[in-house]
Amino acid sequence: MALNLEKLSSVLQNFVSGTADVQGAALVTPDGLPLTSTLPSGMDEERVSAMSAAMLSLGERIGSELARGSIDRIFVEGDKGYGILTSCTEDAVFLVLADKAAKQGVLMLEIKRSLAELKLLLA
Amino acid sequence: MALDPRQFLARMTQRMGFSDADKQLLKSNAEWGLTIAPDMADAFYDYLGRDEEMSQILNATDGRIHRLRETFIEWFHEMFTGMDDWGDNYADRRWRIGLIHVRVGIGPQHVVPAMATVMAKVGDRLKTDDQADDLRDALSRSCMVDLAFIEQAYIEATSTAVLRETGWTEGLFRRLVATGAGAM
Repeated sequence: MALNLEKLSSVLQNFVSGTADVQGAALVTPDGLPLTSTLPSGMDEERVSAMSAAMLSLGERIGSELARGSIDRIFVEGDKGYGILTSCTEDAVFLVLADKAAKQGVLMLEIKRSLAELKLLLA
Repeated sequence: MALDPRQFLARMTQRMGFSDADKQLLKSNAEWGLTIAPDMADAFYDYLGRDEEMSQILNATDGRIHRLRETFIEWFHEMFTGMDDWGDNYADRRWRIGLIHVRVGIGPQHVVPAMATVMAKVGDRLKTDDQADDLRDALSRSCMVDLAFIEQAYIEATSTAVLRETGWTEGLFRRLVATGAGAM
């Protein structure tokens, strides 16, 4: 079945606009190609996609090497905010960019909800 | 990024214009090639040995330089014979020699100028031994094919190690290299 990019894009846009302090999100392939994204202006979609896939893959490799089991997410915390990477399916990686003010509990819950929707669309 | 030596050889042969006529010419001079091979090995390792870092690598273990020199003589002669008419054995052997260079630590930055020295020496011997210039051209093209194997071995070994350690896909790796190089 062909991917419904319109619906995927809509889930992403709803997630970004409906979750407090979320600045952007992207869905990318493990090869680092963008599927769909809603990113802050000035961010290069191609570059963000490659970085996201690289980081998740490397994180999973590190998790395995350090015997941490399967990795739920990669969490990057900077003084300006968060970058959260989650494996969506075998074929997609979900990136979320959030402001420092974001409440982590809410953020994780919203990510979980969006992941469920995205997985259905990617199945 | 597993390289298929046979396919790589075919691609490089075509790219370098290494023709059937070149192969025939080299084959018919295989005996001459064998007689000059020890001198060419000396030229190659004398050049490398003048570099302090290379000298350390070449003499890092007992007998290494001797083994490498013997391999060079065989390799040089094989450029004339083509082993199995530049077939699978020839391609595999070139690939293995490339990997040995990686393992020992003799990089393209050292091999390329050293090989240029060898080709200059070959040119001298051609004149001394009254050999035709087209033999030099044929040998140059064969040599370029072999240098391509050595350079490719470095790239393949490096990228395979990165892929193994990071879990990245080949496509992702190529994309990161392309975007990284674009940002330089």
